Amino acid sequence: MKNFAYTRPRSLGDATEAAGNDGAQIIAGGTTMVDLMKIGVLAPETLVDITGLGDLEGHAVGTDALQFGALARMSKVADDPAVIEAFPALSEALWKAASPQLRNAATLGGNILQRTRCPYFRDTAYAQCNKRDPGSGCAALDGGKTSHHAILGGSEACVAMYPGDFAQTLVAFDAQVMTRGPGGTRTIPFAELHLLPGDTPHVETVLEPGEIVTAITLPRIPAMANSHYLKARDRESYAFAAASAAVGVEMDGDTVRDVRIGLGGVAATPWRARAAEDALRGGPLNEETAREAGRIAFEEAVPLEGSAYKMPLGADVVAGALLTVKSRIGGE
Amino acid sequence: MAQTINTEVTRVDARRKVTGTASYAADSIPAGMLHGALACTAVAMGRIAGIDTARAEAEPGVVAVFTHETLPDYKTVKGFYAGGPGSASFWPMEGTEIRYAGQPFAYVVAETAAAARRGADLIAVRYEEDAAQIHMDPGESFIIGAGEDSEGMTLTKGDIEAGLGAAAQTVEATYRTPFQHHNPMEMFAATAEWRGEQLTVWMPSQSVRTLRGGIAKAYGLPETSVRVLSPFVGGAFGSKAGVTPYAMLTIAAARAVGAPVRLIVTRPQMYTVATFRPETEQKFRLGADADGKLTAFEHVEIAQTSRFDDVVNPGTHMTRSMYACPNIHTEQRLARSDTNSGGFMRAPNEMQTFFGLESAMDELAWKLGMDPVELRRVNDTNRHPVKDVPFSSRSLMESYDAVSRSFGWADRGREVGSMTDGDWLVGYGCATATYPTNMSPSSARVRMQGSGHAYVELAAHDVGTGSYTIFAQIAAAQLGLPVEAVDVVMGEADLPLAPIAGGSTTAASSGSAVHIACTNIARGVAEKVAAQKDGPLAGLDPAQITLENGVLKGPGGESQSLAEALASTPMGEIEAEGQYRHPALTDKALRMTYHGGYGVAGPVTPEMAMFAFGAQMAEVHVHRYTHEIRVPRLHGAFAAGTWLNRKTAHSQLMGGMVWGLGSALHEITEVDTPRARFLNANIAEYLIPVNADVRELRVEMLEERDDYVNPLGVKGIGELGIVGTAAAVGNAVYHATGKRLTAIPMRISDIVSA
Ligand SMILES: Cc1cc2nc3c(=O)[nH]c(=O)nc-3n(C[C@H](O)[C@H](O)[C@H](O)COP(=O)(O)OP(=O)(O)OC[C@H]3O[C@@H](n4cnc5c(N)ncnc54)[C@H](O)[C@@H]3O)c2cc1C
Ligand code: SF4
Repeated sequence: MKNFAYTRPRSLGDATEAAGNDGAQIIAGGTTMVDLMKIGVLAPETLVDITGLGDLEGHAVGTDALQFGALARMSKVADDPAVIEAFPALSEALWKAASPQLRNAATLGGNILQRTRCPYFRDTAYAQCNKRDPGSGCAALDGGKTSHHAILGGSEACVAMYPGDFAQTLVAFDAQVMTRGPGGTRTIPFAELHLLPGDTPHVETVLEPGEIVTAITLPRIPAMANSHYLKARDRESYAFAAASAAVGVEMDGDTVRDVRIGLGGVAATPWRARAAEDALRGGPLNEETAREAGRIAFEEAVPLEGSAYKMPLGADVVAGALLTVKSRIGGE
Repeated sequence: MAQTINTEVTRVDARRKVTGTASYAADSIPAGMLHGALACTAVAMGRIAGIDTARAEAEPGVVAVFTHETLPDYKTVKGFYAGGPGSASFWPMEGTEIRYAGQPFAYVVAETAAAARRGADLIAVRYEEDAAQIHMDPGESFIIGAGEDSEGMTLTKGDIEAGLGAAAQTVEATYRTPFQHHNPMEMFAATAEWRGEQLTVWMPSQSVRTLRGGIAKAYGLPETSVRVLSPFVGGAFGSKAGVTPYAMLTIAAARAVGAPVRLIVTRPQMYTVATFRPETEQKFRLGADADGKLTAFEHVEIAQTSRFDDVVNPGTHMTRSMYACPNIHTEQRLARSDTNSGGFMRAPNEMQTFFGLESAMDELAWKLGMDPVELRRVNDTNRHPVKDVPFSSRSLMESYDAVSRSFGWADRGREVGSMTDGDWLVGYGCATATYPTNMSPSSARVRMQGSGHAYVELAAHDVGTGSYTIFAQIAAAQLGLPVEAVDVVMGEADLPLAPIAGGSTTAASSGSAVHIACTNIARGVAEKVAAQKDGPLAGLDPAQITLENGVLKGPGGESQSLAEALASTPMGEIEAEGQYRHPALTDKALRMTYHGGYGVAGPVTPEMAMFAFGAQMAEVHVHRYTHEIRVPRLHGAFAAGTWLNRKTAHSQLMGGMVWGLGSALHEITEVDTPRARFLNANIAEYLIPVNADVRELRVEMLEERDDYVNPLGVKGIGELGIVGTAAAVGNAVYHATGKRLTAIPMRISDIVSA
């Protein structure tokens, strides 16, 4: 690890200023940041520790909206009965991520900005990685192992997968992100926060240098209460998703009034399966329609040799998640 | 035998370990110690064309940067598979040659570990790169040593084709197992301190004698000038047995800078600087008559090896020992690729081969329409199928019967896919476990004081298994002392000879030596008290005095506790050595052990075949939508002679089964083919089971008496619990889904694609 300067500002203004300096990077819980520094992928000159900004730690479940401070800890939010009742999928997505130690340390702001687990990105012995070293090529696409890579949203420059769980609930339920940057505050629809890799996979979000995520908000909609996060993973805990789905359903009798589907473990960014949602809206929800929705969700997928399994798997996970929600509604 | 044997005894070092006061090798910090770091190659094959160390040398804190051109006095040893103590035959940094990815090419010494690492990152290296191939090509396999060394590498008994021809059902199948790495919790580390021509090395090791012998010979020093210390080991599993380049580099660097140097290898580097479990292919052809009796048994194992070593862990020796069959053919083959040399990893051939064999047996049972347990029963035998000698003890079917009862085997649905639990498909599977009983020679020294305290000393190792505890128990039982009154000193090469902590030999071999040393103590005391004027045993013939539970007894019922008798002698203290050697141990094997090698008697001696047996059963759930494979129940029953310590033995078997579960579902070292590198070299991405994966895990320990294996009747159990687990899980996956997965680990992607 390279030597670095460290600062822990006490005000948002100071933090924005410090984080805007060349070579500065933000650190919150540090579970992504320190990891990548230790393996030499990131080498900031200055770390701006924002955990001194106590105002950003809280969260609230209101009648119209859910609000989460960027420094709210994963475990604290996951464990809140009000969150569990209002939006079970969100709590489940947090519970099923990482390990208890990591969830206790990691923040929601850091969580949505976690970096890919592409093994070539994470190992500097590989010279080719457009994300780590723009223009160097892509070891994954150059005959590499692609079993944990994106089948949705990838480009010829990069097929890295967005690995997080929590973000799938945000993208599917119209979350917004509040930020404070050198130019003041702004609100960004969550769906617009992450950028597709395109030709510039090293640019992952629309955030400007020094721009700090301060909060995440979600409008409260009926489909939230009937939501579920289904995560397929090779071990029972402490594993990234092979495929996952955050779904929520609002029924009107036997007809789907609203449905939300977010996909994890399969895409370059947090991914919303809008076409699948559209196919379900206004119709019945049953094994057949759920499976059809799963199929549609992956219609545009571009599987690589190693990741071909994610197509049928992802479709089944979508179907399974929808049917679980359906059976919960039915059981009431 | 006294009460401390075959009871549950908590580890004597438990408190020290959980409170952090147990001092591991890397915890010793000699005065003035500097820190080492390795720089390792990015490419897998070629030559170093140039190294620029200027930036590294300029880094604050860096003391020295060594390359193949600048490291003086760097010594190497012969590789293990070439009869030497080294982890591999090829030694990096002797020249410019690169033979595998992640090969050390420079060694940095600095004032702090962080500065050393930074220095290593700042070295600029240019390569001349050649093409490399990391996976073996099974089509290019060969049988080693086609000359005098090929003993047993191929074997033919009867006529395999005739046996297949006569069969009512046959199975022909190929199974695959991946590269795996040991990943002990405790990192590889070495600390070297020179004082003139005296060298001290602290290093977690499974064989301090191998290390000392190898280093002394390499440097031309008498063994008395080299101290090797390894008091505790935080897991090894075969990865800490040999003399490695990282150790020899550290020793050379310490000499060059004139100060002690400690190297702690990083986790990613641990994947390349030492050994691993090679990938394998297991080919079976089985035939059976309508009753299930085997008419043909063919097993060809192809294991990966490096270009410079013949890493052979002959698994076919194990499989052909298993079931009765008139027609047997086995071949032990190797195929080369561009890696460092593999080696042994917990159950080094049994894990892979029994995944194959026991999966094939299951396929055969389905074809025959037979209960797979009954198929094993029909083919059980009390004579070794090849050598035709009796098994010294064999409780295979007792194990199956016990585990069948605890598991509820009889309650399973008889058809594939016949059991469900909500969205989960449910299946049951079983498999055989076995492990050879290897008997090494060993010595031990015991000193007893009349005050009722004893010291046991030997150059054995506690790799986390509980050896400190069982040696204390064995001595306590015989000497009539509480376990707490026995101090065990190990992990130092200067102590009496003990074998490599490998092949599950330590408890049985070194335990026997402790037992004999205690017997010799009793004899010594008996001689002294018999010669005295007073005392209950005075004047008796010492040969007629026996020791029982710490009490000396005369022929006429005279008795005195050993401690009391000892206290009455002029010195009040006695010391004795015990030397254990199995009667079937050859002189060659004896000499080999004394020279730091792995010399054993067994598992098949001219009179007997010595193996431990067990049976495992798994309940597997496969999810309809997520295709996840989970194992809510895993039961095992095992018999392995005398249980020395029911608690640590239970832990070994349980830990083995958890490891077996990992081999079934999780463990794989992923490979980047074009660049011939291991890919997931960290324990976030190299999956092993977590707590949540291990649900109901039951271990049943059967009683078994075996008077042949050794004086204590003990068989090794450190590796037994792993064997068969993967097959039991795979067989249950088949029962649940009708999908036969022929490669481990079995993952979501395999279920989806099958
Ligand atoms: C072994 C392991 C397993 C894991 N498994 C999972 C898993 O299964 N599922 C899952 O979802 N996640 C998983 N994670 C990822 C984990 O959830 C994230 O590392 C964590 O949420 C990041 O939060 P943090 O506060 O520690 O962020 P940090 O490490 O502090 O920061 C992460 C990134 O976000 C930036 N950042 C942080 N806060 C802000 C802010 N307020 N404004 C602007 N930028 C900011 C930082 O500059 C950095 O680039 C795993 C991590 C590890 C190490
Ligand atoms: S997929 Fe993206 S992150 Fe991975 S090697 Fe290619 S460019 Fe780098």
